[in-house]
Amino acid sequence: MNVATTDLTRRFGRNVAVAGVTLDAGPGVFGLLGPNGAGKTSLLRMLATVIPPSSGRIRLLGRDPGVYGQRRQIRRRLGYVPQNLGFYPGFTVVEFVEYFALLKELPAAEVHRAVAVAVERVGLGDKATAKLRTLSGGMLRRVGIAQAIVNEPELLLLDEPTAGLDPAQRVAFRALLRDLGQQATVIVSTHLVEDVGAACTQVALMDQGKIVFHGTPDELVARGAGTTAAGDAPLERGYSAVLAEAGS
Amino acid sequence: MTVVAAGKPPAGSARGGLRLLRLHLSSRRVPAALAAIAACAVVLRIALLWQWDAYGALQLPLILETGCAVAIAVTTASPFGEPERATGRWLPLLRLGTALTLTAAAVGALAVAGIGAHLAGGGLDVLRNLAGLTGIGLLCAAFLGGALAWAAPTAYLVIAIYALYTQWHGPALTTPWIWPARPPHDLGAAVCAGLVFITGLAAIALRGARDAANK
Repeated sequence: MNVATTDLTRRFGRNVAVAGVTLDAGPGVFGLLGPNGAGKTSLLRMLATVIPPSSGRIRLLGRDPGVYGQRRQIRRRLGYVPQNLGFYPGFTVVEFVEYFALLKELPAAEVHRAVAVAVERVGLGDKATAKLRTLSGGMLRRVGIAQAIVNEPELLLLDEPTAGLDPAQRVAFRALLRDLGQQATVIVSTHLVEDVGAACTQVALMDQGKIVFHGTPDELVARGAGTTAAGDAPLERGYSAVLAEAGS
Repeated sequence: MTVVAAGKPPAGSARGGLRLLRLHLSSRRVPAALAAIAACAVVLRIALLWQWDAYGALQLPLILETGCAVAIAVTTASPFGEPERATGRWLPLLRLGTALTLTAAAVGALAVAGIGAHLAGGGLDVLRNLAGLTGIGLLCAAFLGGALAWAAPTAYLVIAIYALYTQWHGPALTTPWIWPARPPHDLGAAVCAGLVFITGLAAIALRGARDAANK
C-alpha cells in the first residue's frame, strides 16, 4: 500500500479535524468526498507531510514520515496541490515548474525534459514562457498541477483540483487523473461528485473527521438507490444517503 | 512555442544548483531587498555629511539599520506555501544562505557608507545592531509571518530609541538586551544580539516564515 494510516487523529486546539482515520490506498485514483469542515484538507496535509498527526500512525510509500530521512525520501516522490496554491507572479510557467523540480531534487540533467513533459501534460505548452501574472485562474490551477507531477510522483495529493477549471478543462483533467492513476496513488479531495464518478476507482466519504464510507463509486451509487436522498445524479443520492445515515 | 523550445537544459548539478538559487532569490524578491539596503546606505552617507548632536548621531544609524533588518526579514515570506515545504533538503539551506548573505551585504553597505565620516559607534556597532535587529525580524517572520516581519524590529527600534534617550534623561535603561544603548565594545550586548541573530537564523532556516496556509 502506498498510503496506510491507522487511527489517525489531528487536533487544532480543542477542534478535532481528523478523528481516528484508518485508510489504505494503493495505485489508482482515490476520491475523498465530504462536506465543508469534514476534515479532508487536514487529512491531505498530513499525507503531504506538512503537518504531523496528533496521534495515530502513517506510512507513505512504505516509509514513516515522522523520521527525517524517510520523510525526505517520501517528499522526493510526492506531488501536492493544496486548495490555495501561491504563485510568484514574476515567474514564467517554466520557471515555476522548474523551481519545484529542482527543490524535489530531480537530477539536473533530467529537469528540462521533466518540466517540458509536465507543462505539456496540463496543456500549457503554448504558455510556457508566459508570466504567471498574465494567466487566468484556470491556467494557474493547471500550473499548480504541473509542479505536482513534474517529478512523476508515486503519491499525488490534490485538494479541490478542478476548482476554477472550465468544463472542457475538467474533462481533460479527469483523463490526466486516470492516466496518472495507472502508476501512482492519486488522492483527490473534491466537492464535485461527478469528478469522482468519472475518474476515481475508490472513494471515501468523510464527515466530522471520520471516514463514513469507503468503497467504489458504484457501491456509493448503490447506497442511494431506492432512497429519497437528495441529489440530481445517482452518485449525489448515494453521497446524501451516506451522510444522512452518518448524521442519524 | 512549445516548452522544449522555451529554454536550454542545465548542463550539470552545479548549474542546477545555481539555477535553483537564482529562482529562490527571485521568488523572495531579494533584488528589491538589496536595492532597499543600498538606499539605506546612500541615505546614511548623505546624512553623515551634516552635523548631528550626540543623540541624533546615535539614532540615525539605528533607524537605517532597522530599515535594513526589515528589508532582510520580509524576504523570508514564501509566495508558494505548503507545496514548497513538502520538498527536499534544499529549502532550509536556501533560507539560511539568503538571510546570511543579505545580513552580510547590509553590514558591508552601512559600514562602507560610514567610511571617512563620523559614524557613531563605528562598524562594530553596525554589525551588532544589525545582527540583533535582523534576528528579531527573522523570529517575527517565523512566528507571525513574512508579511508582518517588520513589526518586531520596528517595535524594538522604538524601545531602543527610548533607551538612548534615557542616557541623557535618566534613569538610564542599561540592560544588554537593549544593545543599541550600550557601547560598541560591550560584551554582554554583543552576546545578546548574537544570540538573537543565531536563534532567528535557526528558526527561519528550519521552519521558514509562517504563512497563511500554515495556520
